Amino acid sequence: MSIETIAQGLADTSLATTLTDSSWLFGAVESIHVLALTLVLGSITLVDLRLIGIGPSRGSAEQVLHRLLPFTLGGFVLAAITGSVLIFANPIGYSKNFFFAAKFSLLALAGINALVFHIFFQRRLVDGASLAPRISGGVSLALWVSIIATARWIGYTI
Amino acid sequence: MSVLTDFSTWLAASPLPPLVTSHDWLVPAIQVVHILSIAAVVIASVHINLRALNVIERDVALGDVADRFLPVLWAALGVLALTGVLLIASEPNRAIFRYVFWVKLVLATLAALATAGQPRFALSGGAQGAAAVSSGQKVLAVLALVLWALTIYAGRWIAYADPWAGAPS
Repeated sequence: MSIETIAQGLADTSLATTLTDSSWLFGAVESIHVLALTLVLGSITLVDLRLIGIGPSRGSAEQVLHRLLPFTLGGFVLAAITGSVLIFANPIGYSKNFFFAAKFSLLALAGINALVFHIFFQRRLVDGASLAPRISGGVSLALWVSIIATARWIGYTI
Repeated sequence: MSVLTDFSTWLAASPLPPLVTSHDWLVPAIQVVHILSIAAVVIASVHINLRALNVIERDVALGDVADRFLPVLWAALGVLALTGVLLIASEPNRAIFRYVFWVKLVLATLAALATAGQPRFALSGGAQGAAAVSSGQKVLAVLALVLWALTIYAGRWIAYADPWAGAPS
């Protein structure tokens, strides 16, 4: 099944019709998407800054990570649900958009970066001099700023 | 509303609009900085208000959490104001002639005051212990978080709202 077929299938659903017919539904779901992404971005940024060794968070990097993980995960689930709904408003347009593909590629890279950190570097947090967690935090910050930028560019190029 | 019309006319004639519209990428780039700053406001407010609700950092005083996160909140609000002015300059006849833009500003002001007021509330209520927070503070904290959510909602709505009757086109 090709991307085009999937996009056409989504465009033919009643949710797609409801979203395009409504004058308020897309904006309402989009607002929740923005709120959710600010939670994800804000919590991840604080963890990344703590890994680098700066920022307003108190406690060890491990403590900051555990304190903020519910906000990251909760925000991410909410952003994923609302984002999935938003796709139905223009599935064919999104499927052909470069920045849409770029955003999801960067999201995948951010996921891989988080996984690599968790598997290989998280245990090294006790060693304050280790460079690996700092690099991981810096890469994560750069990726998330890029995700927001590509996401914003979708609106201008679709 | 002639003050607003005069302001938008003055802004349109200023050097700002040609500057921010000189490159196609500039307005979306400013919007990205605006969104990053919203994230900073949200996470700073979440820390202060959820501490007041005894959800996070219960082992430290609210004043300590506020001391660390209020500077983040004010700095981010400063960047939001600056990027907001630049975004208005990119389309001087747009946001300021929509009711929802002014609703957003009022909501943001109330939310900032409610969040920044938390540590003062703690002192006047005598709740200075590590975990002690008065019930009034908890109400204020919930109110502040709801106000921030509504601010984001109103902000996003500027893109969809119609200008009021008689606004310059």
